[in-house]
Amino acid sequence: MLKMKTIIKDFLNSALPAVITVALAFGVSALLLLASEHNPTEAFHTLLLSAFGSPSRIAEVMVKATPLMVMALGISIAFKSQLWNIGGDGQFTIGAIFAAFVALNLELPAAVLWPVSFLSAFIGGALWGGLAGWLKAKFNANEVITTLMLNYIATYLLSWLIRYPMIDPDGHGFPQTPLINKLFHLPILFQGTRLHAGAIIAAIIIILGYFFWRSTLGLRIELVGQSEEVAKYSGINVSKMVVLTMIISGGLAGIAGWTEVMGVQYRLLDDISSGYGNLAVVIALLGNLNPFGIAIASFFFAALMVGGNTMQLMEGIPFSLITVIQGLVIVFVISRVVYTQWRDKVANRHFNHGVLRQSARGLN
Amino acid sequence: MQTDILTMGFFVSLLAGSIRMSVPILLPALGEIFTQRSGILNLGLEGIMLMGALAGFAGTYFTQNLWFGLLAAVVTGITFSLLMGFLSITVKANQVIAGTAITILGTGLSAFLYRVMFGIQKLPPQVNAFDPLEIPVLTNIPIIGPIFFNHNILVYITLLFVIVTAFVLEKTTFGLKVRAVGENPRAADSKGINVGVIRYLCVMIGGAFAGLGGAFLSIGYMNSFIDGMVSGRGFIAVAVVIFARWNPYRALGASLLFGGANALQLRLQAIGVPIPHQFLLALPYVLTILVLLSVSKKAEFPAAYTLPYSRSER
Amino acid sequence: MDLAVEMKEITKVFNKVAANDKVNFQLKKGSIHGLLGENGAGKTTLMNCLYGLYQPESGNILIDGQNVKIDSPQKAMSLGIGMVHQHFMLVRPMTVAENVMLGLRSQRGPLLDSERIAQELLALSQKFNLNVNPKAKISQLSIGEQQRVEILSALYRGAEILILDEPTAVLTPKEAEELFEILRMMRDNGKSVILISHKLEEILALVDEVTVLRDGRSVSHTKVTPATTKRELTNMMVGRDVFFNFNHQQSRLGEIKLVIEHLEADDDKGLPALKNVSFFLKAGEVLGIAGVDGNGQRELCEVLTGLRASTSGEVLLKGQDLSQAPPKAFINAGIVHIPEDRHKTGLAMNMSISKNLIIKNFHHAHFASRGLLKFKAIRENAKRLMEEYDIKANSINTKVKELSGGNQQKVILARELSSKPEVIIANQPTRGLDIGATEYVRQKLLEETAKGAGLLLISADLEEILQLSDRIAVMYDGEIIGILGKNAGVDEIGLLMAGVRREGGEAC
Repeated sequence: MLKMKTIIKDFLNSALPAVITVALAFGVSALLLLASEHNPTEAFHTLLLSAFGSPSRIAEVMVKATPLMVMALGISIAFKSQLWNIGGDGQFTIGAIFAAFVALNLELPAAVLWPVSFLSAFIGGALWGGLAGWLKAKFNANEVITTLMLNYIATYLLSWLIRYPMIDPDGHGFPQTPLINKLFHLPILFQGTRLHAGAIIAAIIIILGYFFWRSTLGLRIELVGQSEEVAKYSGINVSKMVVLTMIISGGLAGIAGWTEVMGVQYRLLDDISSGYGNLAVVIALLGNLNPFGIAIASFFFAALMVGGNTMQLMEGIPFSLITVIQGLVIVFVISRVVYTQWRDKVANRHFNHGVLRQSARGLN
Repeated sequence: MQTDILTMGFFVSLLAGSIRMSVPILLPALGEIFTQRSGILNLGLEGIMLMGALAGFAGTYFTQNLWFGLLAAVVTGITFSLLMGFLSITVKANQVIAGTAITILGTGLSAFLYRVMFGIQKLPPQVNAFDPLEIPVLTNIPIIGPIFFNHNILVYITLLFVIVTAFVLEKTTFGLKVRAVGENPRAADSKGINVGVIRYLCVMIGGAFAGLGGAFLSIGYMNSFIDGMVSGRGFIAVAVVIFARWNPYRALGASLLFGGANALQLRLQAIGVPIPHQFLLALPYVLTILVLLSVSKKAEFPAAYTLPYSRSER
Repeated sequence: MDLAVEMKEITKVFNKVAANDKVNFQLKKGSIHGLLGENGAGKTTLMNCLYGLYQPESGNILIDGQNVKIDSPQKAMSLGIGMVHQHFMLVRPMTVAENVMLGLRSQRGPLLDSERIAQELLALSQKFNLNVNPKAKISQLSIGEQQRVEILSALYRGAEILILDEPTAVLTPKEAEELFEILRMMRDNGKSVILISHKLEEILALVDEVTVLRDGRSVSHTKVTPATTKRELTNMMVGRDVFFNFNHQQSRLGEIKLVIEHLEADDDKGLPALKNVSFFLKAGEVLGIAGVDGNGQRELCEVLTGLRASTSGEVLLKGQDLSQAPPKAFINAGIVHIPEDRHKTGLAMNMSISKNLIIKNFHHAHFASRGLLKFKAIRENAKRLMEEYDIKANSINTKVKELSGGNQQKVILARELSSKPEVIIANQPTRGLDIGATEYVRQKLLEETAKGAGLLLISADLEEILQLSDRIAVMYDGEIIGILGKNAGVDEIGLLMAGVRREGGEAC
């Protein structure tokens, strides 16, 4: 009983800051809406309704949340290791390319093709992430810059592939690949929605993420993030760990690309990652790098995206408001520290007064 | 068609285009040199540039004065960069995350405010952008004239800023402070330099330049504002700064390289040359990674790069 | 004689611990004043208050008899106070002149005035015999030269009062003597000097008066005369006789455990740091490594734990060749390491005690199966070790950074010693600890040797070496220049530490 209570208390303690953060972001957005002569209550009502108003809307939210949570989990693993992987988009793109390539070229039963394409997507993302990791380990190349550059390189690679070697021959020169075989589409979970089996796989990956942080590998990665020197002292091969972390992180982004190709788009087209990389960073942070936190944050942002689209259509409120909310969420998440610092300062001051009084008494 | 490539006209237009396209990269890069030299990696340039592009456009649109537009862009850039300063210097947040936040926020806010200010119109509102200068004699020199002396005034101001930036960093007390703060903030602090203030100033200088760079796009290169019109140039500027190893003159060269690749691919596409222009576009990014490798090995990064400074921590 | 500085009842609190508790300090004009105390006694804190880096919670500072509030280093400098920190405050890619100019008003307004300043510096350098080239880049200068740059910089800023924080810790004896000459010359020119130190020899050789700090309080203020003895000073510093009584069981030495042959290694800059180092260590033996900081001790520790690759030579543990092996091989072979810097190397400060206790052996079957951690075993391990090693904390989940220095060191001891070590490499194991914790750490280390482990004790604290060691090796400039028996005299060791070989010849 007591244990249950502490678990609930712990959960509230860790969820509360996230809730406050989101509330603040909405508060500021409400001011923006007021300033632009919109009605915030109405806007947010529409937002909420269009995201959760019917089972099919919820299904749509889950469709959007699926790649986001897998990718954010990958980002969170790199972040935990103090590797600032902002190359989620590039890793996603390469994963998507690998998945599509396998699905378009291999004649296999679906039951075999799914795991094969899944693995290829992982390898694709892992290559892209691992490359940045290797450059970091070998040349001490700042991973922020390399992953950023690799994003652009992946974008142009995709752009070239869908215009030349992989272009749909019957597509009137439109820059996209042919559709993959219908048999290979991931099964739809509920008729009439777009919700596909990739959502289940994403959920499994999140649960695996929970166990990952309870594994020796997870502890190794965490230690490297705590301090490379301490990790080295503990007998960990830091260079190897950096590469491995980026492989896992990139690989997960690749899998996110797999779900998008095999479950939603069924082909490659320009900008397939549609800025999920930035969003995954926001989600990983808001989720406090915790797998379940990430899952919840993914739903939240997916709901914003789905709801935002409707809000734009019905209320004439630009979708960019959703982007503003995303930005504000990060600003408030990282500004939280200021509050804690201030609180500690106040506590310290009180304590110091105590010490001084004490030593004054000692003198008498 | 193929023969078009080899004409003089093609080269003249390519080189002139390279110069024009390098400006919106070079401007934010010059500011980012200050910012990074002081130890802060501002990945939020993209967002600040977008805000600058909007402010430049709106300022010009409502006052019908291009210089007011520029002023609005600079002020907006500085204001918006203060948020980056607050997050990275006062809050001591991770600069990558802070920069990401600024970029997302700038992207969203610029698009939102544009819609609020201008609504949805059939024809996007336009302004009269900066015209190319007619420089007596020089503009009319064949080949050289069209390449170098047929640009708007912002291009020349930018070139002037290259020299100013190099001078300020190397020859002034402020530049010395900036370098010291980026290399060894503790030492600078012990010499009575306010590390936070210098860093804030450098972030603000970066913001001013980024705002200007954004305005160049909306009222110099084009004559209207489009959502996301910066399209990655803020990030390219960051790449250029590292490519140039924090030197303004090398940044000029690097910007020309990035701008040139872009100008070339545009022209090749227009002519319809079947060379995959994507590789041309990707090339500068590959080069940046290669340069980064050599820079990292020689440990040429400012020693306090991306590290927040706190007096009580060792 | 007038007072240059008077500090009254200074109190400074960090993280709820008073680093200075009503400290009084007086510096006479034109004198060299020693500020003596053990590590952690509050010497540097007090001087940082004087230099404006810290603001004391209470107390007054008087400069030349005037009550002043020093809220920044700039203010301190304007009052004529200069400080040479232990870690030099120099910007490495910049020149000497640029470093000196930093933060100064230029005569040319916003423009730098490099030429004029370089010339003035040259003149000042010649006046005080500092021998510094103003146009050299800091990164090209030796440690001794960098220190002189710091002094030059302070003088240029018009320092009348110069604070030096442990200036000789990084110097060779010859460089130290040169420094003392410079300081004496400064005193004769009417400047006042404060020398922070924990080295008795220095205090006796150089200073006119000494203030002793202990546990954040000023315990004594006295003139140094030729009659002053080390013993006297030590008693003031430690508060009692320093010669702890440890049970030294004789004839407990066993077989040879560790053999080092012709070991060579480079430092971080790629310069040779270890030169032909050879020695052996027996079971149950304590081999002390004495020497001035920075003579290759750190590199030796790192090579002997796999953290640094040797360039040649052999490391053999009970016949097993560990040369060039990764840290993990050393851990598995039973070499444990109590590192010099527990915050940076020994502990993951943001992790819990329980996790810190397993960071070296979490992959063992006891703590993990099929790649997953066994949290129950980890908790029980933590509870057991916290009790066994008397670690005081709220719970096993307390973050290590919230512990006191002594308890942090106990966490390291618990982790390292509980793994039944063959050989213990302890680098400055008691640095910065209070007396109680120091005694505890030494006792625990000796208990392990009694169980048969070999202990390599590296310490800059000669008393510690003398008390614990069976044999004493002295390191100088990357070499072991002599190995002495446990009854070696302090003078003999001191000569070796200064690089004077036993044959009487000067070491190179």
